[in-house]
Parts: sequence; structure tokens; C-alpha cells
Amino acid sequence: MMGSVTKSDPRESIVKRHHPVGASTGYMQSLRGDWEAQVAEAWRVSSFAIELSALSESELPSLAEYLRQTPSLPFRYVSVHGPSKGRQMGEEQLVASLAQFARLADGIVMHPDTMDDLRLYRPLGHKLLLENMDSRKPDGRTPEELHRAFEEFPEAGFCFDIAHAWSIDPSMAVANELLDSFRGRLRHVHLSSLSEDLHHVSLTEEDEELFSPVLRRCLDVPWIFEAPPQTDPT
Amino acid sequence: MEASRQSPLGRLAELADRDFPSLFAARERSVGGLKKRRDDLGKLSHDAGASIVLMGSWGRAEVTTESDDDFMVLVYGEERAEVEPSIAEVSGVLDNPPGSQGIFAAPVYSENLVQNIGLDDDDNRNLSRRMLFLLESTAVSGDDVYRSVRAEVLDRYLDESVKPYRPPRFLLNDLVRYWRTICVDFAGKEREGRDKWGLRNAKLRTSRKVLFAGGLIPVLECFRFDREPMREFIERQFGMPPTDRIAQAFLENEATDEGGRALAAYDEFTGRMNDREFRQELQSVSRETADDSAAFSDVRRIGKELQAGLLALLYEPTRELSKVTRDYMIF
Repeated sequence: MMGSVTKSDPRESIVKRHHPVGASTGYMQSLRGDWEAQVAEAWRVSSFAIELSALSESELPSLAEYLRQTPSLPFRYVSVHGPSKGRQMGEEQLVASLAQFARLADGIVMHPDTMDDLRLYRPLGHKLLLENMDSRKPDGRTPEELHRAFEEFPEAGFCFDIAHAWSIDPSMAVANELLDSFRGRLRHVHLSSLSEDLHHVSLTEEDEELFSPVLRRCLDVPWIFEAPPQTDPT
Repeated sequence: MEASRQSPLGRLAELADRDFPSLFAARERSVGGLKKRRDDLGKLSHDAGASIVLMGSWGRAEVTTESDDDFMVLVYGEERAEVEPSIAEVSGVLDNPPGSQGIFAAPVYSENLVQNIGLDDDDNRNLSRRMLFLLESTAVSGDDVYRSVRAEVLDRYLDESVKPYRPPRFLLNDLVRYWRTICVDFAGKEREGRDKWGLRNAKLRTSRKVLFAGGLIPVLECFRFDREPMREFIERQFGMPPTDRIAQAFLENEATDEGGRALAAYDEFTGRMNDREFRQELQSVSRETADDSAAFSDVRRIGKELQAGLLALLYEPTRELSKVTRDYMIF
């Protein structure tokens, strides 16, 4: 390559070099229930993006109340992760509850295996993001399984959980197939490694190297840390 | 249509597995409309040094069903009293001519475009005309005049100050100046009156951004060339529609996925601009009502997706282009 420009070390971490990143509040168990503290913690990770995680349905009311009292957040990209456990309310009521976030959030992430009557979610339009699932789940794991859900939602986006894709196929072929199928819908990436029992843990160096070719296909969207990002030992 | 598919936009569509139906339809519409206008306007009596030049969506090959016929009569040489064809004659032939108060529908003299770069004589109007002439214009008559003036403008920008394997700073600075002028003028127009705030804002987020990026990216990409091939590269690039310039940059920087998403967003905007209700909603929306407008909400989303792809192309550190952006864009 000719030209006189600044050079950088190609071995430098792709994650550390990527600018549009953010934290999911889902990994902040010790701060659960204190949205202000979770937002402050996410701000320490990045001022670009945040995912406000209400994985348990019981967290939805307090999140709604927090956002009502906090009209603006200091992030340029905000997503809300809808509940996938502790579900009590009817699906119609759940969608109505999620719709209140549509104005503030750039995206509302849902697990397709927890959605029964897909038609009810159509009012969420472009804001609805479907996430690919890990190998423990019965549905929403592969391009074929996700196609069934996406067919119902011509406007919905894709939340690509790279660790979930790895759990289906450690060769990362399925990860690439997911992007081949839904790259036009890609809105953000969930980034972490997985423990042996498939829980999100901080991204390891080995996984970062394995994931890098796939992540290079996602450079224009926010990468949301699903576990605390690694910090320099210094 | 086949030619469009072989263009950089067509190759990106194929590699990114996208269709870009509205952009390709707009190109077809542009080609058909240009042929008609060439035939009609060619019948007007022309001075030897005159060329009728269509601007805006005609120059971008993005004509929608609602596009204006923005034009100027380019005249080789110094200002003079009489020019054929007259503005009234050209306006009389066109379906949707612009008003005569703005930068269009006027005789434009090459000496002003070429000689008045910078300083007091290069006022807002002269800068805008020169940049639009360079970035989004097409001749419908007097092709030789058009080509000569473009060559002279490029000669001024790519003069002896250009260094090999570096972006040409004079042109880069003027491009950036023009983009910032558009943005500052947007705020100035809002203070003058809120009429068309929504439509102006929507264009700033989309077609104005494509116009700027379509000039900026090729200029930054000049770091790959020695002086002579740099000039050829810029001429070749500015001879293509801005969406082809951008598509080619995504292709050459191996960013087809991002390019597909960015230009699909722009394709959606181009398609929606054919919808009269969508345009009317944008025309009527104000800063106060923007949050309640579905059309404006879509434009915000489209603008973000377009910009995210362009920023990834320009700034992601895994690409060589990002180093040039870092070194040349601010200072």
C-alpha cells in the first residue's frame, strides 16, 4: 500500500478499536433494580450505546417509571431488551408495555422462542429486533428457524448474538450463514463468550480471534457487551 | 437497466445480496427524462459557449416523480449582458423549473467558477454552484463547453500544490467548506422561517449527505495515487453518480455488508420520495412536531443507517482509509 498515512498495529484488538460499542445492563446483577446506577455503569463502558435489559418481566414497570422520570439518556443508541423469563402478563399486554419504549429506543430486542402470537408484535415495526438463540433453546437458532419469524415482520431488525451462534456451531459457519441471511436487517451485535453452561461471560482473547472475521462484517452497528468487557491490566 | 447492473452500485447490490429497486428505477427515470430534455432543449438557439446543465437529482441520477428541473445555463468566459438560450426560454421548455431567486435558473459564467475560489468574490452562491456543478450535474446541451469548464475547475483544484499519494487538500477543504455551509445555512433558513423545515432536514440527513460523501470519499481515496493517475481517478469518479462513487468505495474497501445496509437505507428514502403523501408530511413537519411524525421518524432511522455505514467506511480502524480520514479530515 502506497501513501503517507498513520499506521497501526494490525494485531491490536478489533473490539478495542471498534468505536460504536455499549454495555447491556443485563450483566449488572449487583445493581439490579437501580436503573440510575446501571446507566451510570454503562456510561463508564461507553457513551455511545446502552441496552436497558428487562430480561425478567418484573423489571418492566420500574424501567418504564425510570424512563418517564428521565426524558433523555446520554447515549446515541438505546435499545431495550424485552422479557424472556418470569412472564406473567398476556402477550397483548406485553406488547403494549413494550410499545411505550418505542419512542425512546432505537430497538426493542425479543427472543423469538418466547413469542407466541407473532402478529401481536407487528405494531413495533422497525423497532422490533429478533435475536438468534443459543443451542439450549428450541427455536430461533438457525437461519431456517429465524426465517419463520422474520417472514411475519418485514420491517423487523436482527440482533446478532455472536456467542449464541458459536454455541450452535463453533466453526462459525452458522454465524456467517445468519449474517448472509439477515445482514440487511442487522441493527446490533451482542458480544461475549459463553460459559460451559452457556451463560454470558467476558469475551476471551481466543474467542475474539475466532469471532473477528465475523465481526468485520458488522462494523457499522453497535456491539453490545453482554458481560463486563475486558479491561487492560494496567 | 443492464448498464446500471454493471455499475459499482449494481456490483455492490449483487455482492451484498440487495436489490436497490428505487435507486435503479430512479436511474432509469433519469435516463429517459434526460433524453427527452436533450431533444427539447437542443432545439433552442445556443451561443457557441453555452451549455444547459441539469443539477440536483438529475445530476445524481436519482430523479423521482416529484423532482424539480433544477438547471443553470453555463457560459464559457466572463459575465456578459445577453446569453442564448435565455433563462425564460429554458424554463419554458421544462416541466418543473425552479424559481429564479436561488442558485439555479441563472446564467453561470465559467470565469467566476474557475477563478473565484476563496476570498470575498467566492460568495455562498458561487461556492454552491461550483460544488454542485462538480458533484451533481449533467449537461443536456453544449457538452464540449460543459467538459471544458469541468476540466478547468479541476485544473484549479489539482494544481501544482497537489502532492503525490496524499489527498488534494485544496479540493478537500472546499468540499468540507461546502458541506458545513449547507449545514450552517440550514440553521440560517430556520431562523428566517420554518417553512419546509422537515423536508430540508430530511434531505440534509440523506441526499445532501450522499452528495458530500460522494465527493469526500474519492478525494480521500487519492492517497493511493501519484499525481497523474490521481487526476484521472478524480475525473472518472466525478463522471459517475455519487451512489456509484460510494458503492465503489465500499467494494474496494471490502465493506460490502456495510455498503449494502447504507445504500439500502438510501434506496428506501429514494423510493419514499416518490410518495406524495410522504413528501407532504415532511414538508409540513416542524421541529416541534417532528417526534409525532411517522414519516420524519422513518427519515431519522434511514439517516442513521446511512451515516453508520459511511462512518464505518471512513473511520473503522481496520481499514487503511481510516488512517487517511484521521490524518486529513480535521486539520
